[in-house]
Order: sequence, then structure tokens, then C-alpha cells
Amino acid sequence: MIGKRHLITAGLALATGTVTVADGITYRKAADMLYRVMSADREVYTRKVVQRLTVDRDVLVVSEHFEDDAALPLPAQMFRFGAEAVMDNTDDFSYALLSLHPINRKNGPGTELEKNGLSYVAENPGEIFYGEEELGGVRYFAAVYPDYAVVEACVQCHNNHKDSPRTNLKVGDVMGGVVIRIPMD
Amino acid sequence: MSSRTVLWLVGTALLGAAYVAATVFVGGDRRMLLVGKTTDAHHQFELACETCHAAPPFADAEAGGKSLNRTCRTCHEDELEDASDSHSRSMFRNPRMAAYWDKLDARLCTSCHREHRPEITRPGAVTVAADFCVACHSEGDQDVRLARPSHAGLTFDTCASTGCHNYHDNRALYEDFLARHAAMPALAPEPVHALASRFRTRQHPAGKALAREDASAPAAALANDAALVDWSGSGHAAAGVNCDACHAADLPADAVPADLASHWMATPTTAPCRSCHRPQATSFAEGRHGMRQHPRIAKPRDPRDGLGNLGLSGVVPDPMADWLSDLPVPARMTVGEARLPMRTDTPAHRTLDCGTCHRPHDVDTAQASVEACASCHDDDHTRAYFDSPHHRLWREELAGQASPGTGVSCATCHMPIAEVRGRTMANHNQNDNLRPNEKMVRPVCLDCHGLGFSLNALADAKLMERNFTGTPSVRVDSLEWAARRSGEPEEQTRI
Repeated sequence: MIGKRHLITAGLALATGTVTVADGITYRKAADMLYRVMSADREVYTRKVVQRLTVDRDVLVVSEHFEDDAALPLPAQMFRFGAEAVMDNTDDFSYALLSLHPINRKNGPGTELEKNGLSYVAENPGEIFYGEEELGGVRYFAAVYPDYAVVEACVQCHNNHKDSPRTNLKVGDVMGGVVIRIPMD
Repeated sequence: MSSRTVLWLVGTALLGAAYVAATVFVGGDRRMLLVGKTTDAHHQFELACETCHAAPPFADAEAGGKSLNRTCRTCHEDELEDASDSHSRSMFRNPRMAAYWDKLDARLCTSCHREHRPEITRPGAVTVAADFCVACHSEGDQDVRLARPSHAGLTFDTCASTGCHNYHDNRALYEDFLARHAAMPALAPEPVHALASRFRTRQHPAGKALAREDASAPAAALANDAALVDWSGSGHAAAGVNCDACHAADLPADAVPADLASHWMATPTTAPCRSCHRPQATSFAEGRHGMRQHPRIAKPRDPRDGLGNLGLSGVVPDPMADWLSDLPVPARMTVGEARLPMRTDTPAHRTLDCGTCHRPHDVDTAQASVEACASCHDDDHTRAYFDSPHHRLWREELAGQASPGTGVSCATCHMPIAEVRGRTMANHNQNDNLRPNEKMVRPVCLDCHGLGFSLNALADAKLMERNFTGTPSVRVDSLEWAARRSGEPEEQTRI
């Protein structure tokens, strides 16, 4: 998806951070590559597993409470499990799936950069937000990638969930964003 | 003060310091180094300091802290994984959570569980203030009262103390689960623990059953008529497990009958038990009864390693090095070391192993499910059991007056039957569902009782003392609130 868009800077002030080189690869390039992997895995799970088995073949169900329901985890849950598993293995990068309208409020923006980044990708379809921030005494390069409602199931689930603060989503809307951080120190 | 007195005092101080240094860095009796009473369960291996304090002796505070928390996970990580930990460490390790690290650092077990601090330790080895939820859930977007008007008048010391929320394990408490089970009656029309029913009606493999005349034992052992009667009526005989399987476990496959006597052990070890009952043995070592057999408990240090680290290898004579050996953790827990009330007529030196609860020849699981427990435990809850409705049901089941799985023994709740790879077996970790006690709801209570009734009962300390004789006088509101938000009907809370 990212290859079809322009990778633009969010502002001149961010330029220094994005050109900093780590082992020959810019932080921006590294974040973009990580996002491509995450995005591809998520799309494959959504289409080849969830869509195929729950909609096309109708042999399984997908559920927020997948353990109790003996069901498949939602694509967003799979994404978050991956993010948590990464945190068990490395401090070299981190990522999170967030939204300005999260069903679970813990997935709302928690830092100024997250607020700015999520707002930027929501207001500028197809664009990516890059920036830097300091968290816990460490300086991070951060990138925010838009997260779209790619199939009707995304829209239905979010619009009908009792805890959803936004219920007018349509396919193609930006639902939130993927935030990737790489420590710069 | 005379110079001799001064010299004597200085010499004594130096010797004392040398001894303390030796116990810290080399080996020896470290009981004097315990800086405060160790929490229940951990006290069983408190002399194996390296089980938790695994950092090198001169590690800095940060490395020591990380090491300490890593050892917590060594033993408790699977438990947290099973619990679908609501506040997983990995979630809080994400730097986006940095703002919370200064409030309550959820990356570290020791933020809430500080060992050797008896003056602030609460049940569950919790040492953080009871209103700890306030740290992260009282401000901004995370203020719980924003989306839950029902919580407006609540104080934060009630979140985790009234049967509503747990920090780690909310499998029986999350909102949709509460709502889904809101309509359950207090007592099911036909209450039966499904897995217990399966366990008690399980069939042994056909064609393997052994009779008394099949007993494979030396002549002297065959004279033990009582043992033969017990064994021939046991599950072991029904499953084709002969005497030599336990009493001569090292008998070669090509042995002849004459070899039996030389390999015979009148009192077998527990190794044969573990070789066939591996899951049970594993869970036994995870609970308080068998914890001393846990493979993660550190072995005593080799004093020669410590001397080598100090550059004293070969300098200290062997007898002195041997004298500096660590006190080993005893191999078995004893009744006398328990911190719960135990019967005074039970020998304090009784050790806990397979044979403590399971009689060796009849291996009657019913006996191990009640009488064995009450032969040691002596508290209000245990004593009240024998006059409780649960015990009445147990007696009726044993008498054949009620269906298998309808009786409730001590083990029904504290060592519940679980399914492991298609087989039913008792979870021998008696602590697995004990604290917070809502962990007991799903594997035990819900087979017979409604969710609301169960939560109310488990929140009623007096009712638990009476071993659930009577009805709950406490009402946990969360189920009603969840049902209201979801539009589900509410539960009947009276039997």
C-alpha cells in the first residue's frame, strides 16, 4: 500500500530526524520497511484466514472473545498480539495500532505525537506522519501510518460495538493509525 | 577500655564480618540474611536465595532489579499467559506507556509484589496500596468514570477488593462474560461438574485388568494380604499396573522372575508415580504441597565456585570449604512448616508427597479428595465442610444415590478435574484457582451455580468460613451493571 503513496514529510522540522542514519538505513526507511511487513501480514491474515474461513467458507467464526468462543482472533487483535510479542523480544522498535475513536480507550492517543499523527493521517488520506519524541528518557523516531476500513466487516464491527465512540464509518475511511517507534539513542 | 578489650572487640567484629561475607559470596547458613519474613509459599525455598536473586553478587541495582523480575516470570509466566493477563508486561514495555511507568511501573512484578515486607503484604503477596488502580484509571481519557456512570461514587480501594476486577485474571469478570451469563439461575436444574463426571466414569483399557493371582512380587511381599486385596481392587490393577512397576521400577525388560527379589523396594520412591502421572506431578510441584520439588528452585551453591570468584581457589582447605556449604532446601514440605492451621494430632514432620494423600495400594481418589485433606488441615472452612450441602452431595454420590460429578469434595474445588489433551485428570496445584478466588468460578462453580451467585458467594468471607452453608449476604454489583449495559436479563441470585 505504501508504494502507491507519496512518502512525504510532515514538516521541515522533522527532516533532521528522518535522515539520521542507523547502520546505513534511515529511521524513516526502517520504519517504512517494518510497516510493509506488518501491513502485509495483517492483510494476509484478514483475507486468507478470516475472510476465507468465516465469510467465504463459513466454517469458523471470528470473535473479540476468541478463546471463549473457540473462534479466530480479530485482525486487530492479531496485530496487537504481534506488537506485544515484539516487546517480549526486543527494544529495537515498537509499534501499536491506535485510533482517535478507539473501542478500547487504552488504544487512544497517549502522547502529543500520537494525537498529532493520528489527526494528520485522518485529515490527509494517503499520507504518513513522521516525527520525534522523548519517552521515558529515550528519544524516539516515530512514524504514523493510516489504518483503513478495508472490508465491510471492519465497518460493521466498529459501528455496532457498544463501546465504539464513532458509528458512522464507511469502507475506505481512516479508522486509526499504526504508530512505529525506533529509539534514536 | 583496655587495649586487650579493644583488640578482642575488633577481632570479633572482623570475624563476624568475614562470616557474613562468606555466607553472601561463598556459602553457608543464610537464615540470618533474611531481611524480613518471606511470603507464604516462597518461604518453602527461602534458603535457595538464587531462585529469585540470580544476579551476580556485584551487579548494580538496575541489573539486579531486572534479574529479580525475570525470575518471577520463570515460575509465574505460564500462569499469567493462561490468565490472559489484563495488564501484561509486554503491553507496558511499549514506550508509549512511559507516562505510566512513574505512576505504577507495570513492567516490574516488584512494583506490586515486594518480598520480605510482611508489614505491608496482603493476600496474593500484594504489597501495593489497595487503591492502586487510582494511579492509571482516575485521570484523562483513562478515567473509568467517563464511560461507566455506575462507577461515579466508587472509591478506588474497591476495584479489586469486592469481586469486580482483578489486576491479572479477569476471565470470569470481563463485561461481556458477565452479560452473557447474566441469566443463569443461582443453581442449575441438574447441577453436575461435567469433567468430574467424566473422570469418575472413565473406563480403563479393556483386556489389561490384573487379578490378585497375577501379582508380580517376591514371596515375602505376596504374604501381605491386605496390600494384595487393596491393589487387586484398585485402578492400578484395572489398568494393568503390576506390583513390580512401582516396587521394582528398575527391573530390566529381560529380567527373569528370580531377579525380582534383588530389585524389590519395600517402600518405592515417587519416581514411578511421576513416570506415569507426569502432568499430575508437574502441577503438584507448582502448588504449595509439592513446591519444593519444583525444578526451578536453585540448587545449593558450590562453595568452591564462590572461593574461586574471590581468588581464593585452593587457598581454603577442603574441610573449611565444605563447612561453607549452603543449607539445602529440604526435599519435601512438612506439615509443621505450613502457615495455615493444621491439626495438632498430625505429626509436624509428616512430609508431602504422592503417598501422603494417596494410599499406596488402593489409590482411592475419593479418599484423597476429602479425608486426606482433613487429616492435616484444621480451619473453619475445613471443619465446616462436613456439615455443608457440598459434603452431603459428596456422601450421596459415594453411596450411589446421586450421579457421578454431583458430589463436591475438597478436591472438586481445590484440585478440580481438568482436561489435558483429551484426558481428564486432577490439577494437583491446589493454588491454581485459589487467589484471587474468582479464578475458581469458571473451572468449578459455573458447572452448578450461576455467575452472580458464585461471585456473591466468593465475596462473602463469612459464608466461605461456613463452607457455603447458607446463602450469600454480599452482593457484587458488576453483573447487574454489565447486564444493564448489554440489555441482558439479570440473574436469579437466590437458590
